[in-house]
Order: sequence, then structure tokens, then C-alpha cells
Amino acid sequence: MNVLYLLIPLGIVLLALSVWGFFWAVRSGQFDDLESPSVQILLDDDRAPPPAADRTDA
Amino acid sequence: MDALASPTTCFHCGGPLPATGGFTVVLDGIARPLCCRGCEAAARLILSQGLGRYYEFREMPGPRSGETANDWSAFDREAALRRYTHERADGTRELSLQLEGLHCAACAWLIESSLTRTAGVTQIHVNPGSARAELRYEPRRTALSTLLARIQALGFTPLPLSFTGEVAVDTAERRTALKRLGVAGLAMMQVTTYTISLYAGLMQGMAPQLEQFLRFVSLLVATPVVLYAAQPFFVSAWQSVRARRPGMDLPVALSIGAAYLWSVVATLRGRGTVYYDSVVMFTFFLLLGRYVEMSLRHRAGLRHDALARLLPAGVLRVSGERTERVTPDELSAGERVRLLPGERVPADGRIDSGSTEVDESLLTGESAAQPRGVGDALSAGTLNLSGAIEMTITRVGQDSTLAAVSRLIDRAQASRPRAAELADRVAAWFVSGMLLLAAAVALYWLHADASRAFATVLAVLVVTCPCALSLATPAALAAATTQLARCGVLVTRGQALERLAHADRVLFDKTGTLTRGEPRLESVTVLDARLSEAQALAVAAALESHSAHPLARAFAQLTAASGVREVRAAPGRGVEALIGNTRYRIGRMEYVLEACANRRGFATDPAHTSVVLGDTEAPLAVFHITDTLRSDARTTLARLAALGLRCEIASGDRAGPVAEAAAALGNIEARADLTAADKLARVQALHAGHHCVAMVGDGVNDAPVLAAADVSVALASGADLAKVSADLVLLGEGLGGLVTAVTTSRRLLRVIRQNLSWAVLYNLTAVPLAACGWVEPWMAAIGMSTSSLLVVLNAMRLRGPVRA
Repeated sequence: MNVLYLLIPLGIVLLALSVWGFFWAVRSGQFDDLESPSVQILLDDDRAPPPAADRTDA
Repeated sequence: MDALASPTTCFHCGGPLPATGGFTVVLDGIARPLCCRGCEAAARLILSQGLGRYYEFREMPGPRSGETANDWSAFDREAALRRYTHERADGTRELSLQLEGLHCAACAWLIESSLTRTAGVTQIHVNPGSARAELRYEPRRTALSTLLARIQALGFTPLPLSFTGEVAVDTAERRTALKRLGVAGLAMMQVTTYTISLYAGLMQGMAPQLEQFLRFVSLLVATPVVLYAAQPFFVSAWQSVRARRPGMDLPVALSIGAAYLWSVVATLRGRGTVYYDSVVMFTFFLLLGRYVEMSLRHRAGLRHDALARLLPAGVLRVSGERTERVTPDELSAGERVRLLPGERVPADGRIDSGSTEVDESLLTGESAAQPRGVGDALSAGTLNLSGAIEMTITRVGQDSTLAAVSRLIDRAQASRPRAAELADRVAAWFVSGMLLLAAAVALYWLHADASRAFATVLAVLVVTCPCALSLATPAALAAATTQLARCGVLVTRGQALERLAHADRVLFDKTGTLTRGEPRLESVTVLDARLSEAQALAVAAALESHSAHPLARAFAQLTAASGVREVRAAPGRGVEALIGNTRYRIGRMEYVLEACANRRGFATDPAHTSVVLGDTEAPLAVFHITDTLRSDARTTLARLAALGLRCEIASGDRAGPVAEAAAALGNIEARADLTAADKLARVQALHAGHHCVAMVGDGVNDAPVLAAADVSVALASGADLAKVSADLVLLGEGLGGLVTAVTTSRRLLRVIRQNLSWAVLYNLTAVPLAACGWVEPWMAAIGMSTSSLLVVLNAMRLRGPVRA
């Protein structure tokens, strides 16, 4: 069981790392907009805009 | 979905189609009707860029596009660029925009995609939650005004925000809350593992050193949770103690603090029970509930900055001989500006030269044009209607009348709903009672079984925390408000929704409410053979083009006779002018007859509003003008009736038109020729009969009546700031939102009742169990948190689709 004295501190280091990572993600605005990315994947297709026509009939 | 929409509404904005028609756009091979040139331009632009999928994915119709585009060139000047944008090291400039008319993620996508395809834009992100856009562009390749004009062409109004480099208050609050939640959540996972090991150790045996080690590790992980994540509870508890009004955070702070300290002491002494798991779990679930509630609240917030919206995008500043276009922010007192007809006044000031008429309806609610001459004061936000003038600025920005008015609005919006305050007051008593109960339980257990006293008291404290009770109403209100805002109904006072659910009578104003407020020429009666009908119309159109009276709009579409000279307007009465050698007058019957040599009488159609045309000899023609009913007025009233609300018309208009409208709407009760005092009396009479009255008006002329009614509803197409006096504001064209508001308010009431009964039931059952010592602290933490979460989740049901 002595390995626990190594593994648990290691777990705490990982915990500290994940908290740091989460804080970084929040600070850089990744959680600011949880809404539009879910729609964007549906809307952004690879269809190129049609050549400078006045309207899209297709 | 939109492709199947009834063709009676505009494909782009969902507004009613004009009878004349003529504006269409072709999508998927089908011609889609549009209501106006603005919408046509916006739809063409969207389709020409291959962004037609916007119409598939949007959640509600787009904003109605204005007919005219603003002149954004003022934003290209160096001073404006310095104020609104920030130059980055790579030469690009960045700025933040507030966007009007942004409703859903599809709108955000539309703006992003369209601007990305515009030359010079390097990056754009639009957040539909806060309706803000962060834009980065290359000043060498494009001008800021081009980009702003492009956004406006899509149908959204951009408002550049002064560059501060800081994130919005909402975003900052949200980020902090997320960080606290993250710390508590990650720590909870760890501490729970350690606790399970400790329990297992109790049963299977564990080396004492290892046990002590695990306790120290738990202490290490739980400490940031208590000191950082749980901070808001301690701060708010301390504030409530100082205000001598114990709030619901007091027992929370007490239980977290006491359990933590007890555990620390037990850890250091090496014996006794530790409660790190309960501390961390309790904090996490509470934070989760608060976070969900906060998101609801942010979504519900009104995103309108009235002040910025009412000011013009640019104004001509006159300095000596030179003029230049500047933004209103750059003006200072003492400067002179030139205003052309149709422009908004950028700041408070006095007229130096010229005379004009202004529309002050935004400030005063008075819709008739007000004449203003040299030396008269003008207020920021009012509309210059007829003449070109020069004015000297006296007050700008925060000192202006408009700023004072918008501060009033902010204050009104900041005031807490009465229901939430009541819940807090109840919670204060409840908390005091529970603290006493906890003390009593402590005394009892100290005598009966001292070893279990702390655990029991802790369980009682945790279990009784009235969070569910306190969250029950505000969470439901926030969810309902968000849902309504999505459907185009703004709620300015939360408690109005509760009253709307009880309403059994609806009073409608007629003009501008049931009708569209756009007068239409119905028929012409020629009284004198000297003039044909066509000639009479041409003369009338020519004269009315010089009038600012609302009825004059009925003539705006007609071809006017040329050669109008010596125009003299008699405000509120009519217009006089010379065409050829004949002096004509048009307006009210008395005004026209004054000038006639032959004052013979004639009959007018009582069902319509009449405008008379005459010359110096005799009256020549009578024009009958009607205001058409809104296309959805009849269905709205029918659906309200089906919901058990009795509708009636209370109008200041004449009996004929009112009776006609009442008949067209399904023979509803109608009263005509009412003054504001008469309407007030009608509301009071209904009150005396113990009815709960909702009043729907344009929010302008009936402010006192709106205030007297239990719930007041205004249409946004009425005067903007008059909204302030109304509890609900219907955005967009049409009355349909009213039905949604009624059904949502009834669902809201149901949810609040469910929430309150659940919270009370939970506390009544859990407290005795805890006091008897049958509930472990960790069970109490889960039970309490679950009950709060349940309340919030139940409230979120209101955001789902409306079931009739």
C-alpha cells in the first residue's frame, strides 16, 4: 500500500493541472458562448457562395 | 419550416404584407413575398452571399429592416476610431458592437458569415447570448463605416461600444461563477474518492498512518473549496447578518464553516469524524443551482441601451465655415451642429437659426409634431421633422434629458420583483426559526448522546437551508421572462406576469393598437363640379405633403400637383397653400369653412374620419380615412376569449369607426368617445366588480390608464420610452405575443405553486428526520441540493415550447 503515498500526491498534481487548465479555458472565453457553436456545425457547409449572382434560385 | 409559413406575412421579418405587394425574393424556386424595400434588400443580400440556410435554422423571424440606411461615415474619422477601436500590433483594429435585433444563433451565424466574406475583416465573433460582436478588421482594406453599413443591410442595427478592453459585466460574473463551480466540482471528485477509501478502511481495517494521510489530503483539497468556491456564501451571509436580516446564505455559511472547522480540528488531533465530503458536495451542488439561476437571469436581461439607440449615428458639426460629420459622443457643450429634416437631435441644445417641427413622442409620449423656432430648446433623441436648423449644444451625454430618462428605466428594471422580496422576507423568518431549532436540537443531543450531537446539528442545518424556497419564484420568473423575450414579449416588471395569469378582462385601445396606426384613404366625395376626383386628390396630396399630421400619411402615396406656393400650416387644424391662382385649404371642416365664401353644409360619413378640401369659394371634396385593423387582431381576440378573457374596446375615437372595428372583431363590447379619465373610470368600475384588468394600448396617450390597470401592455411601435409605464411590451408587428404572454404567465403560476409546495413539503419531512439523528450530514447535503436543483429544473420547463 506504500505506493499510495506516491499516487495520491500525483493525483493532486493532476488535479492542480486540470484546475489550471479549466481556468485558462474560462479566461480565454471558451465558455462564453455555449450556444452558437452547436448551430454553426449545421450551418457551415462546404457549399461555396454562388458566383456574384443577384439571387440564389437553387 | 419557414417555407410553409402562411404567405400573408413577410418572408423576412414576419410582419404583415402591404396590400400593394410587389416585393419578392426567390428561394428554392419559390417566390417569397416581402413587406418592404428594406426587407427585400436584406433578403437579397443574404441570398446573394449563399447564406439562405439562415431561413431554415432561425428560431424566429428576422428584424424588420429600415427603409433608409444610416450614414455611418462619422465612424471613419480618427477621433471616432480612437474612441471605439483599438489598434493592435499587427495593424488591425478591433472593436465591440452591441447588436439590435439579434435573436438566435442563426442570426449570429448570418452576421459572422456575411462579414467574413467582406474584404478586410480578419476576425468576427458574434455572441447570441449577450448580443455582442467582437470585430477585427484591416483599416487599410476597408472602412469601419462599410462594415457597419453591411451589418445594417442585413437588418441588424450595430451600436459601437466605447473601447475599454474589458469584458462585459455579465461575462465577468459568469466566468467567476464557472471557475468556482469548476474548483468545487473537481475537488468533489477527489474528496469523494478519499472518503470512500476511508469508509472502506473503517470496515476492512486500514493502517492508521494511511488513514491520517488521507485525512490530510482531503483537508488540502477541501481548503480551496471553502476559501475560494464557497466565498460568495460567506460574503452574503456576513452582509445579511450586518443588515440584521438573516438570509438563506446564513445557514449555508454556518454549515460549511462549522463542518470544515470541526473536520480540521479532528484531522489535527488525529481522532473524531471528518466531513470534508459533505462540505465539498454541498458547496458544489449549491453553486450549480446558483449557476443555472444566473444563466437564466442573464438571458432574461434586457439588452437595450435606450440612450445609445436613440442618438443618431452621426451629426454635422459646424465650426466656422467648416462642417464635418462626427459621432454624438464627440460633441461638447457650446458647439454648433446642423440638423436636416429626418435627423435625430444628438444632444440637448437651443435652436440658433431656422424653424422646424419636432417629434418628441419618445420623451413625452405626445405624438403630434411640436413647432420649434429660434431660441427654443431641443432634447436629445427627439426627431427633427420638417426644417433644416442649426443648434448650439447645451448638455451632452450623461447630463442630457434623455440620459435622465434612461436612468429611470434602468432603475425600474433593477428593482426586484415583489415576489422575490417576499420570498426573502419569509426566508429571513424561516432561517431565524431554523437556527433556533438547530440550537434546541444541539442542547437535546448534548444531554442525550454528546458524541452524535455535532453530526445531528450539522444535518439539521444543511437540510433546512431554505434555498429551494428562495429559488422557487425567481428561477421560474427568470425562465418565463426568457421564454417570452424569445417570442417577442419584453417583461419590464416580473410581478406583472403573476397578475396577468389572474386577469379576466382585457381592455384594448383602438388606434395604433387594434389598428395599425397607418391611416388609409378609403373614399373621396367630390362636392363641387369644378374639380374632378383625380384633381382633388392631386391637390390634397400636394397640400398634405407639407403637413406633419398623422392623417397626412394617408396621402403620401399619391401623385401630388406641382407648383405649390405660400404654404401656411395651422398645427392641428390644417394646411393652406396657393396652387396656380387658387388658394386651397385642407384639414378639419371648421378650418376649411372659415375661408369659404359659401359655407354650405354637407354630410360626412360618420364611420370614418373626414378631411375636407376647399378653396376660397366653397368646400370641394371630403376624404374619408380609415385605419386598417391589424391582420392578427381578430384571431388574437378569439384566442384570448378561448382562454377565458373577456375583451372590450375602450377608445377615444368616434362611435362610428369604433363600432365598425368592434363588429369586424366579432361583436365585442366597445365604448367610444372616451377621454383618458373615462377610461380610468372604466378600469375602476371593473375593479369594483372584482375583475383583474389588463390594458393594452400604444403606451402614449393612455399612460394613466395603463398605470391603473393590473397589468399594462404596450406595443413597441408606439412611442419607445413610453414603454416604461407598461409592464409588458410587445415587440414587432402584431398582437400575437399577448396570447403567448397569457399562456406563459399561467404556466408560470403553476410552476411557482409546484416549486413552493415541493420546497415546503421537503422541509417538513426532512427536518424531523434530521433532528432525530437519522440523517447523516452527507445525505443532508445531497437531499438539500437535489431539492434546489429540482426547483430550478422545474422552472426551466417554462423555456420549452408553448402548449396552449
